[in-house]
Amino acid sequence: MNEKSSTAHREEISELLKELVITRIEAQMPSNLKMSIGSYGSFTKNQLIQHVTDDDEIGRQVMKMHIRFIRAQANGQLVDALNSVADE
Amino acid sequence: MNKGVIITLPRHDDVTEYISQFSKEIIDEAQSRGIPVKELKDKSCSLVEFEKIVNGLNYKLIVLNGHGSEDAICGYKNEVLVQIGVNEQILKDKLTYARSCDAGVKLGPEAMKLNDCGCFIGYELPFVFYHDSQRETNPLKDNTARLFLEPSNAIPISLLKGNLAKQAHENGKRFILKNIRKALRQKTNDAVGFAEGLWNNYMGQVLLGNPEAVL
Repeated sequence: MNEKSSTAHREEISELLKELVITRIEAQMPSNLKMSIGSYGSFTKNQLIQHVTDDDEIGRQVMKMHIRFIRAQANGQLVDALNSVADE
Repeated sequence: MNKGVIITLPRHDDVTEYISQFSKEIIDEAQSRGIPVKELKDKSCSLVEFEKIVNGLNYKLIVLNGHGSEDAICGYKNEVLVQIGVNEQILKDKLTYARSCDAGVKLGPEAMKLNDCGCFIGYELPFVFYHDSQRETNPLKDNTARLFLEPSNAIPISLLKGNLAKQAHENGKRFILKNIRKALRQKTNDAVGFAEGLWNNYMGQVLLGNPEAVL
């Protein structure tokens, strides 16, 4: 793959990840809730989606959070952790 | 050093209002054990007041509620209370729980450099929680926020009970995992979202300094 198509490929993956995170927020977050993210403040569902769409710092933090969780689900880390408290 | 707890309660936006109100459980635990508590509320959560109280009372446990960054923790209206290169040594040999974002990345390690018997429990990632906008006038009745803030409270509460720093750190993490299980058992649409936020806090929580540190 040459450099141009590699960049285009990375951009495509990035857009797909954005779409994935937006879809997850739309499905998972009720409109009466706000999400507080550290020092960035509190955000409604629509505000979070806008930040992810804009690919700004807040949007990137949200995406990292989603990807971290998806990765933990996929590699078994989440299940192992949950099983460690299963009998409590 | 004296047995006692200093707790910052900035309350200048909805985030600090929530974490300050939920800190009532920490204060109640200390009082029930006869451990003196000094609250730094609102405007008294300033740099001048913070340094005066920490140095003057010399209480061992410090609970910092407030916004933060990798190198600082803030108080009322984001006035910096502790910062690398300025006064991080104020946390030396204290048991510090910092409910502030990212302070575990640089400030925590720096504060613990000359530390002997203290610890710093904080976060290397932004601390995340969901809250119900219909409960904002009465945060303690917000069971969504409780899912996130109770495990966080468990850390200073565990220290107040006389547990070692490593036990308090572990208790906090286990509480998060139990709440992830609780959320996922609900099988509602928001369950996975809650689990994601809780997992973020689980992965971000760090213990620095002396793991055997005790109040």
